[in-house]
Amino acid sequence: MSRVKKTVEEQMRALLTKHGYPPPEVVIPILEKAGRGEKELGAQLHEIDMSLLSGIMKILNLKEKNMRTVSRMIGVIFSSYGQKYEPIELSENRFRLSVSDCPMLHVGKNVNTTVKSKFCDVYCSSTAKAMAQLVLGEEGSCSWDKALIKGGRKCTVTFDLVKTK
Amino acid sequence: MNHSRKLSIAILLGTSVVASFLAWRNITSPIDFADLKTVLTTTTATFGSLLGIITAGLMFTHGKFSELASELGEKSPDYLSGTLSLEKAQTIGNSLLALRKTFSLLETQATVEEEKNLYRRVVEKASSMYTKLAVLSDLMLMQQGLAKTDLMISEMDSQLYVNYREERKQVKREWHILVTIRQMVDTWEGSKTLVLEKYEKRTSLQQDLRNSISLLGLKERLDKNSKHVRAETEEIYNELAEDIGKIGKQLYQDRIPQLLSQMENANTIRGKYFYLALVFIATPLFINILILPQLSIGTATFFQPIISITSSLSVMGIAFLLLYINRILSV
Repeated sequence: MSRVKKTVEEQMRALLTKHGYPPPEVVIPILEKAGRGEKELGAQLHEIDMSLLSGIMKILNLKEKNMRTVSRMIGVIFSSYGQKYEPIELSENRFRLSVSDCPMLHVGKNVNTTVKSKFCDVYCSSTAKAMAQLVLGEEGSCSWDKALIKGGRKCTVTFDLVKTK
Repeated sequence: MNHSRKLSIAILLGTSVVASFLAWRNITSPIDFADLKTVLTTTTATFGSLLGIITAGLMFTHGKFSELASELGEKSPDYLSGTLSLEKAQTIGNSLLALRKTFSLLETQATVEEEKNLYRRVVEKASSMYTKLAVLSDLMLMQQGLAKTDLMISEMDSQLYVNYREERKQVKREWHILVTIRQMVDTWEGSKTLVLEKYEKRTSLQQDLRNSISLLGLKERLDKNSKHVRAETEEIYNELAEDIGKIGKQLYQDRIPQLLSQMENANTIRGKYFYLALVFIATPLFINILILPQLSIGTATFFQPIISITSSLSVMGIAFLLLYINRILSV
């Protein structure tokens, strides 16, 4: 049992090491200075997210495409990056969570809030898009309130599933 | 801070308060000459007895330290001849030099401070690992009875050579070899927990390289000419990850980090015992040589505050000792 657990942990570590996100605290000042590269960053992030999320699904043997799977995958990613989060709601159609830390908060103080907000969308929409593609399907959506960037204590992220007839 | 440490501090503070109160009470209310003499004699005897116990503790921790040093000393030659061979050291050294060269260049080309810092961290860590590897390589040659070659040293600049000399001086005992290997592996791997040290100030070389590769990947999308840099770095990264990963795995299998940490604890406690022993030698000497021979009613009045403090110190000494015995049992 312990051997199996260790193998999962090792696989997960290898996966997270292989598909690392470009560090926002370095990337954002570079792109801000260059005045271009958002589209390329979005494409790179999407590739990373697709590899990472499909890897997690494979390692944890997550086959069901529902909100419970979304919550587990988000949990793995957040805890792997040492990011604290709190699930608020988990139902068949919705998964809401709040985070008290965000990579954007570690971006230099000289980068203004508008730029941070723009890149917050680039990073979050990539994960949301990958999650929709892999787990939720076309009816899935994700939103985030960017409260942390605006000076709030917690940011709320919501995954919704709108069932069409 | 764990629960037992909090309890120990609470006991210590409590004892200090009681001892200070007793000392203050004795200072403010004069006691007679005969009592004072008895207090001094008892204090001297208490300090003497405690010194005996402290010496026993010092010997015990030293014994524990020596036992661990000998266990690690026995294991270290295997690392130099098996886990880390001369060929492997050479391969890792070349990879580290290549990283150093590439990232020094990237650092000079970078215009954004955050990017410069990332590349600088890679250069610094690769350099630190290279100097440690050069020291280990020296020791391997010595162990195998081969003549010393300057192969790794010839690639160093003056600063790197100074660092190498410093590192070399620090390896005096056999178990120091394992400390050097562990430091090298730690520079590469960082924390062994699943949580990546993304926002910690001290990141591992592995993490800095992954971040750099990811960043170079983005730059590659923006400028196709930078493609070879990312590919080369990724290749070096994979080689290093495999080679150092094996060494790290062996270290953890042999419980080397735990043994080294136990040694560090034993060494710290041994040092504290030593200073404690000095206090417990000095105090009875002070009482016996300076105070007791001159004790008359007049001098007794003069020395009364000091006598009160030393007798209170003997009470505190017992509390200190109990705490150290508690610590020593967990080593």
